[in-house]
Amino acid sequence: MQLNHKNITQSLLGASCTLLGSNVHAQKWDIDAAILYYGEPDRVQAIEAIVSGTKEYSTDHSLSLKVVVDSLTGASANGAIEQATPQTFTRPSGNGQYTVDANTTPLDDTFRDTRVQLSAQWTQPLNRQWVYSGGANVSREYDYQSIALNSSFSRYFNTKNTTLTLGASLSFDSVDPVGGRPVALSEMVVDSGQFNNENDFDTAFNLTRDIDSENRNTVDVIFGLTQVMSKRWITQFNLSLSDVDGYLNDPYKLFSTVNNQGEAISQRFESRPDTRFKQAIFAQSKYHFSRSILDASIRIADDDWDISSQTLDIKYRFLLNNNHYIQPRFRYYQQDEAFFYQPFLSVNSTQPDYISADYRIGRLNAYTIGLKYGFKNKKGNDYAVRLEYYTQTPENPGVILPEPLTNEAVFPSVDALILQFNYSF
Amino acid sequence: MIGQKFVDPVSQQHYALTQHDSFISASFYSMASTCEVLIETQDTFIAHTLAKICLGEVDRIVQKFSRYLPGNVCHAINNSQGRPVTLDDESLRLLKFGQTCFDLSDGLMDLTSGILRRAWYFDGSDNIPSQAQIDALLPFIGWEKVTVNDNHVTLPHLMELDFGSIGKEYAVSKLCELSLRYLPDVSVLINLGGDIQVTHPRRDASPWLVGIESSEEVIPLVRGALASSGDTKRFLLKDGVRYSHIINTNTGWPVVDAPTLVTVHSSVCIQSGCIATIALLKGSQAIPFLESQDVQYWVRDSED
Repeated sequence: MQLNHKNITQSLLGASCTLLGSNVHAQKWDIDAAILYYGEPDRVQAIEAIVSGTKEYSTDHSLSLKVVVDSLTGASANGAIEQATPQTFTRPSGNGQYTVDANTTPLDDTFRDTRVQLSAQWTQPLNRQWVYSGGANVSREYDYQSIALNSSFSRYFNTKNTTLTLGASLSFDSVDPVGGRPVALSEMVVDSGQFNNENDFDTAFNLTRDIDSENRNTVDVIFGLTQVMSKRWITQFNLSLSDVDGYLNDPYKLFSTVNNQGEAISQRFESRPDTRFKQAIFAQSKYHFSRSILDASIRIADDDWDISSQTLDIKYRFLLNNNHYIQPRFRYYQQDEAFFYQPFLSVNSTQPDYISADYRIGRLNAYTIGLKYGFKNKKGNDYAVRLEYYTQTPENPGVILPEPLTNEAVFPSVDALILQFNYSF
Repeated sequence: MIGQKFVDPVSQQHYALTQHDSFISASFYSMASTCEVLIETQDTFIAHTLAKICLGEVDRIVQKFSRYLPGNVCHAINNSQGRPVTLDDESLRLLKFGQTCFDLSDGLMDLTSGILRRAWYFDGSDNIPSQAQIDALLPFIGWEKVTVNDNHVTLPHLMELDFGSIGKEYAVSKLCELSLRYLPDVSVLINLGGDIQVTHPRRDASPWLVGIESSEEVIPLVRGALASSGDTKRFLLKDGVRYSHIINTNTGWPVVDAPTLVTVHSSVCIQSGCIATIALLKGSQAIPFLESQDVQYWVRDSED
């Protein structure tokens, strides 16, 4: 005989809380605060403040809120090629110019922005086997805003030793660049005295600009498997797909048209496809030795812009006495260039539909080495400091350089220092 | 590692402290069980203080609610001869919880059923009582005959109350409350003879590892509580029939076809304990009952 049994778990929890005269549901917030400095010498500097809080309600019900504020200042490579003579560029707003010295990577020094990001995530079990998590994320900066929603379902197997997760997120972004959106492939208008008055310049400038904002929509799908291998060993595998649709240009990036003498004869605005489909697999393994924890992960990604990448990330935490720990980190990243990446356009080539000289989508290697030190005080509060050095070395994807350009840094490297303080209570 | 032994000057109870890699354990003996408090700290002062708080609280609960001690709340109710007994807030809350358990279990879980131990001695022998012995006790069982009002309880003459079935789990949850008050940010595991609750997750979210009675199985416990019901040692065996120590309060006979041991994970120890106990009282329906609850559970059968 199969009887129907009523579910008394929640009623018993309520009665237990009444009995204990306590509010077992309402635990306090766990707060994590961090401040991060990121600096590239002579280039971008960023200060980021992050405050996140998680509150556990009853078993496995939790709410997380997060606020991130960051401020970027400094100069960013504009994509134009380094020359043996000084070069003059128009600022993105159209108001004024900046001049780059000879034999110097062209940097746009007007780069500054403040970004505020808010996110909320709710997680709760649906029953013994299923867990739901849903959240929203809003981000706002001067020329960009984004709204994203996400949902995921996880199912436990094998007395919670195996977890399968299927998640999706939708993000709606809007881009409204300073001075309007440059018309892709249009030539940058530079006032070298050829205009009769300011109005003539403005007319010419405006012809290269679209003033309305553009949208970018992203759909991400993630499929994850977490497996507890033993008391000390946990592994995770993720497969993620991402489909981006909309305005994908960087409105501040140029490419140079170069003649056979290696001279830049014009600067044009880049043009990227308006869709991008990415796929990635990620595998992570964490092993807890008696006095140390090894966390190693690899990520292999690929997209229809032909950017394929590999990431290896290893963190090794040594547990010292009195709740202190020290954690060295090594990360290696390698990426192949996008099919439309060219460090410059040769006058001998026909102009393609898509072209970008943005070093970030070129062929490159990057290394991060870092050290994190942390401790927990008697009250259980965590303090940590992390110092990392990042170096990115672009590679020539096989472009033959006109002779004079071989003396210039066509593929300049980027170094950065990252310093972060964490406090959890 | 061998723990150092100490005496709590207030309760005069003995306890031992042992330092481990990432925590300190305090162990003591109470409620007929080995008890343990695991504290994620390396600070022995904190461990001593919490050990004394826990010893004091367990001792207080035993002194107040044990049916073996004279002069306490339980004794006063059981010797009231049918007259109302005025109670303090904590006792009333325990009785109201008993009422809820009785209602939610459709009368299976009953704080007045302890009287049946006059007929049943679960000593591993084959001493099965006669039906007449049992019939003589049945009229004195039944929570529906008990009245709990705003500040007093009335128990019919010759009936008996016994907090034994919820006392240990109640103590575990109370110790967690006190621990959270004293050490709000430190993960502490309270274990009173296998009934267990964790105050909150450890800093690195790694689980406390908990063994199950007479089993190789290890349960990783990040948060919440574990309680077991059943006993691999307390039973009677006659003519090949194993009589468990869980008794159906309606018939006065042990529940048949129940698992030997049920372990339940939920938010609070007392909640886990009640679900485990009710599951055993359901006998052959234990597993379907557990399946319909939002809990994780482990079941051992007598064939094991």
